[in-house]
Amino acid sequence: MAIPPIAALEIGTSRTVFCVGETDDNGRVRVTGVGTYPSTGVRKGQITDLAQAGVGVEAAAKQAEKQADVSIWQVLLAISGAHIQTMVNTGVATIRSNDCVVSKEDIEEVMENAQAVQIEADRQVLHTITQSYMVDDQPGIMKPEGMRCKVLTLNVLAVHGLKNRIENAVSVAKGVQLDVTDVAFSGVCAALAVLTPEQRHNGVLLVDLGGGTTNYIAYCNNVISAAGCIAIGGDHVTNDIALAFNIPLNRAEELKRTEGCAMIDPDTSGRRVVLPSDVGFSERLISSKALQTVINARMDETFRVLRSKLDEIGVLPHLGGGVILTGGGAYLRKVCDLGQRVFGLPCRIGLPVNVDGLDAVEQPAALSTAAGLVLYGKMTYEDRRLFSPLRNFLRGVFRR
Amino acid sequence: MSQEQQTGLLLLGVGGGGCRLAAAVSAAYGGGMCALGVDTDALSNREASAGGMTTLLLGGARLAGHGTGGDAIQGRLAAQDDMQNVGTHLQGVRTVVVTACLGAGTGGGATPEIVKTLHDMGVATVCFVTKPFAFEGEARRSSAERVLPMIEESADSMVVVALDDLFVELGDLSVDAAMRQAEQTLATGITLLWRLVTKPGFIRLDPERLHAMVLKGGNARFCCASAQGQDRAAQAVASLRACRLLGPRDTLSKANALLLGILAGSDLRLAEVGEVMSKVRSQCKPECVLEMGTVLDDAYEGRLDLVAMAFESWTAAAPIAQPGKEAVASAEPPVAEDFPIQPGARKSRAAKHASKLSYGATGRGKFQNVEPTIFHGQDLDIPTFVRRGIQLER
Repeated sequence: MAIPPIAALEIGTSRTVFCVGETDDNGRVRVTGVGTYPSTGVRKGQITDLAQAGVGVEAAAKQAEKQADVSIWQVLLAISGAHIQTMVNTGVATIRSNDCVVSKEDIEEVMENAQAVQIEADRQVLHTITQSYMVDDQPGIMKPEGMRCKVLTLNVLAVHGLKNRIENAVSVAKGVQLDVTDVAFSGVCAALAVLTPEQRHNGVLLVDLGGGTTNYIAYCNNVISAAGCIAIGGDHVTNDIALAFNIPLNRAEELKRTEGCAMIDPDTSGRRVVLPSDVGFSERLISSKALQTVINARMDETFRVLRSKLDEIGVLPHLGGGVILTGGGAYLRKVCDLGQRVFGLPCRIGLPVNVDGLDAVEQPAALSTAAGLVLYGKMTYEDRRLFSPLRNFLRGVFRR
Repeated sequence: MSQEQQTGLLLLGVGGGGCRLAAAVSAAYGGGMCALGVDTDALSNREASAGGMTTLLLGGARLAGHGTGGDAIQGRLAAQDDMQNVGTHLQGVRTVVVTACLGAGTGGGATPEIVKTLHDMGVATVCFVTKPFAFEGEARRSSAERVLPMIEESADSMVVVALDDLFVELGDLSVDAAMRQAEQTLATGITLLWRLVTKPGFIRLDPERLHAMVLKGGNARFCCASAQGQDRAAQAVASLRACRLLGPRDTLSKANALLLGILAGSDLRLAEVGEVMSKVRSQCKPECVLEMGTVLDDAYEGRLDLVAMAFESWTAAAPIAQPGKEAVASAEPPVAEDFPIQPGARKSRAAKHASKLSYGATGRGKFQNVEPTIFHGQDLDIPTFVRRGIQLER
C-alpha cells in the first residue's frame, strides 16, 4: 500500500514553512507543495504570540495546499528552542534463555527499559534514538541478535523539551484547524533530509543555522552522539547590525542578506555600502569592514559556543566527514570558511538531498527541516505499519 | 618550587615587541625567571624560545603562525582562541607583568584581551606598554591610542612609555646599539621588580606589598637613573628627577605612591640609602606612600642605579573612622585588611572610575523582553562586538 501524502509544518523564527510530500514508486520522498510565510510572534524558536504565529501558519498552509493540490487537516510539527535538551539513558536486560543467545524479545525488553527515561514532570520526551548496545562488557555493538551474553545493555539518546513550550506550538496549529499528529526535533529532521549514509558513517556534524536558533546533530560511526539547540541565530546577527549602525531591523536584515559576509574580507577595506534612503531615513554610507566585523564576531561566537559544547563530550575528533551547514544562515557569504577555521574541519553547505522536488526552490537549504520532517513522517508511518497495522490510517491528507 | 615561582610573579611578553622586551628582561635577570612569550608569528616565537623563554603561539588555527598582518582584530581573536592555553601557565601566579608594544596587530589586539581575562581570573597585572615612534606614522599611533584605554580598563597598573622618549638621547648611536640600549633601560626597570622580591639586599620588598601596590596602582610613570663616583647618591636622585620617561618635572611631587628600587654593589653604604630616601622624600608630597627595596649585585660595584614607579592615581584605602580619633594619615603603610584579594570578584578600573571607553550600543535590541541566552555567564543577546569590546571602523 502506498503511503499517503504527508504534511510537515515548521514554525520558524523568521519564516513559517509548510511542506507536502509524497512517496514515489522507488520509495523516495518527493515534495509536491511548499508554502512559506514570514513569521511573527516567534522568538528564538518559541511561540510568543499564538494569534500572530497562526497567521503565518494559515498563509503557508494555503500556499502548500494549492501547490500540492491537496487538502490538509493533519500535520507533523517541528520543534526547536533552547528548552530542547538531550541525555543518554541506559537500559539493561538479563538474557534468560539457557544458551545465553540474544533473541528479538531480549532486544525489545532492553529497548523498552532504555526508553523509560526519567525526566522532570514538566518535560516531554520527543525522541529516544538508539546509540549502541553493549554485550556483557563489549561495547559498540549495533546488531546484538544471535550473540551470546549474560547482560545486554543499550544506550539511547533521549531528546526532550518542556511540555508547555511544545503545547504552545501545537496550539498554534490547532488554532488554524490543523491537527498535529506528531512532533519532532528540528535538528533530527534536518539531518534526515541532508546527511548521506556515507557522511553518517564517517562522522559528521550538521549545523542548522536558523533565524532564532542553531540546531546541531553529530554522528559518529553511524550513531547520533550529540544533539541540541543553541538559542542564537540569524536574528542575532540582524539585531547586532541594527544596534551597531543604529538602523531599523528590516534594513539591518536587508543589509545582512545583500552585503553580509561571515569573514572580514581584506579586499573590501575602505569600501562603503550605500544604505538607500527610505521613508524617514536619509541615505547613509556604512563601512563594509565594520559590517563584516559585526557579523564575523557573532558568527564566530556562535560556532565557538557550539565547539565548546562538542569539546565537552569529545565528539570533534570523530567527525571525519566534516561539518555540514544548512538552514537559511548557510547562505551567508563565507560562512563555510569561518566554520572551517573555528572547527578545524572541512565545512560545506548541505542541501536536502534525500528529498526530491526542491530543485526549483530558491535556497533549498532553508527548507531542510520541513523536508526532513516529511521524511520523518514517512519513516514513522512505515514503523507503525510494521508494528501495528491497526494504526495504519490515512495521515490526514487526502486528494481533493 | 623555586624561589622565583614562590613569588607568584610571571613576566608575559605579548606580540613580537613584547616578547623581545620580555626576553631582554629575562636575560638581564640571569635565568630562572618565570617568563612566557605569546605571539601570533611563529618565527618571532622561535627567536624568543631560542633565548630560553617559554613561548606560545596564539591563533595557530586561525593564522597558521603567519602573524596578524597588523590587524588588531585578528590579534584579539587569536588571543580568544588560545586563552585557555595561556591559563595553563598561570598556576600559582598572583601578579603578571605584561610587556607589549602597541601599534601592531598582536600587541594591540591580543593585549587588551589577555589583560581582561587575567583581571577576570583575579590575577593582578602591571602592563609595560610602549607607544610607537612618531616616524612609524599616524595609523600606528592612532591604533595604539585606541588600545590604551582598553588595557587601562582592566590593568591594575599601567606604565606607558613612548619610544620617542626612550630614544631621545640615543640619536647618535647606531640603530642596533640604540635599540639594545633602549631595551636595556626598560629591562633594567622591570628586572628590578623581580630582584627586589627575589634577590634583595638588606631591605626586601615582599611579594605581598608589591601585589598590593600594583593592585591599587592605576596609571604609573616609570623612570631610572644611574650615577657613579663620590657623590653618586645625590647625582642619581638628580638624574632620576630629570629622567625624560618621568614626563613632566612635577610627576614625583604629584605621585600618590612611589615604588623605589636601589641597585648597587656591595659597597653601598647605609648613609647613601638614607641620602637617597631623604632626597626622594623631599621631592614627594607628605602623604605619598613610599615603598623601597635594595638589590646588591657585585656587577654594580661603584655604581648606584635608581628605578622608580610613580603611581599617580594610587588610592589609599579609606581609613576606618573611629570616634574621638582623627583619620589615620594616608601616608601610613597599608595594612593587609585594606587589600582583600578576591579572585574574579574585583571591579575593573572602568567600574571604579567612569570609563573613558564607549563601545556604542549596549542594549539587547529586539531581545529586550525575551528570555536571555546565557552561556558561561555571558548574555549572548547583547551584541558580540559590544561584549568583545571591538571598535568599529566608522
